[in-house]
Amino acid sequence: MPLAAKLFIFSLVCALPGIDLGWKLLQDNLGANPVETLEHTTGDWTIYFLLLTLSISPVQQLFVPKWPIPMHLIRRILGLSAFVYALLHLAVYFIFDMGLDIDAAVEDIATRPFIMIGMTALTLLIPLAITSTQGWQKRLKRRWQQLHKLIYPITFLGILHYALLVKADLFMPLLYLLLFGILMLLRQFKLPRLR
Amino acid sequence: SSLRFQPNPQYRPDLKLTDAEHALHYNNFYELGTDKSDPYRNADRLITDNWQVRIEGECAKPQTFDMDDLLAIEQEERIYRFRCVEGWSMVVPWIGFPLSKLLNKVEPTSKAKYVEFISILDRKNLPGQRFNILDWPYREGLRIDEAMHPLTLMATGLYGEALQNQSGAPLRLIVPWKYGFKSSKSIVTIRLVEKQPISSWMQATPSEYGFYSNVNPQVPHRRWSQAKERPLGSFFKKKTLMFNGYADEVASLYSGMDLRRYF
Repeated sequence: MPLAAKLFIFSLVCALPGIDLGWKLLQDNLGANPVETLEHTTGDWTIYFLLLTLSISPVQQLFVPKWPIPMHLIRRILGLSAFVYALLHLAVYFIFDMGLDIDAAVEDIATRPFIMIGMTALTLLIPLAITSTQGWQKRLKRRWQQLHKLIYPITFLGILHYALLVKADLFMPLLYLLLFGILMLLRQFKLPRLR
Repeated sequence: SSLRFQPNPQYRPDLKLTDAEHALHYNNFYELGTDKSDPYRNADRLITDNWQVRIEGECAKPQTFDMDDLLAIEQEERIYRFRCVEGWSMVVPWIGFPLSKLLNKVEPTSKAKYVEFISILDRKNLPGQRFNILDWPYREGLRIDEAMHPLTLMATGLYGEALQNQSGAPLRLIVPWKYGFKSSKSIVTIRLVEKQPISSWMQATPSEYGFYSNVNPQVPHRRWSQAKERPLGSFFKKKTLMFNGYADEVASLYSGMDLRRYF
């Protein structure tokens, strides 16, 4: 299969949760609180894709040395998926929670730490999305590597954003934090190949 | 199962009822799980056979009632607004009777300044009680004048039928001018007390959940605004009303109180 076809299929797979959500939206099948469903689902997938992006290197080193698609392209598509889900998440918040009222949104962001943290994470994702192409990678050289290390604080802020909005049950955000911690730790070591 | 009840025309606001489908599948009942879909999914884990309610404390005639005793009280249907602290709301037809009718049976003494409500404790069967997300059993409280207020209802049914488990069967409180978590579900003990009780939510997060928890669009939750609410089934928000639209009936209970301080 040509690489372009593989990339297309992989991108489509990453888009499936969004397509599913859009389909349910059209069918008016998002449950009692459709906006909450949209908001939580897009938020969850943002975090999943951030964690998946971070898992690619350790998984390669530990288990799967050879990939059907070059690793950097997989990482790019996963990272861009996180960005797209984060944008959808913001759009749902701005359209339905803030009712397209910019003043209300600015006040909300300024007064509520968890919103501020989420906005910070999304803002930091923008330069990474813009510079995700090969052209930018060549142009920035070693700086590109440094810039894209922002994915670590972004993921942490994303999880923190989630943890700070939960009422009492911190199980899921703590689970994400644990996964993030493990991925960060793995990065500290030169991993042996298990395979 | 169906209940015998009379609609009470006095409590029929000119509001569109929430779809029963929504109200019965989207619930906060942490004993059955913290996800909104958990209570319906795990509903059969709540065992309501031979349910009894003990009323005790500062009263002349402490008593234990079974459901037949309670269903012998005249049941009426009232359509109330219901506003969750999380910012969603619904309009639903409860069936039940004023709590005052029940409390009067035990003859509260002059020391009965507050009422504490204690919900079911069943760690073996209730999946949410295997973890101490809250300090179980769930506890809530009202001031005695709030408890005796004609709007305060002991609900036994919803949408014309006996309460389903996910809605707090077989007996729950409904205090329509307060955030939903004040309306305890599956109550087993009602205690008349002299001192203000500490609710499970106050104990868990005292900075966010106060004793009164009256619906108040002007006093935000520590982490989000309470100015608006989203009716279940709808995409857009509408303005939240002071005391959830019951200001005419209940504002006098709090005259002279700083509602920012006593949130």
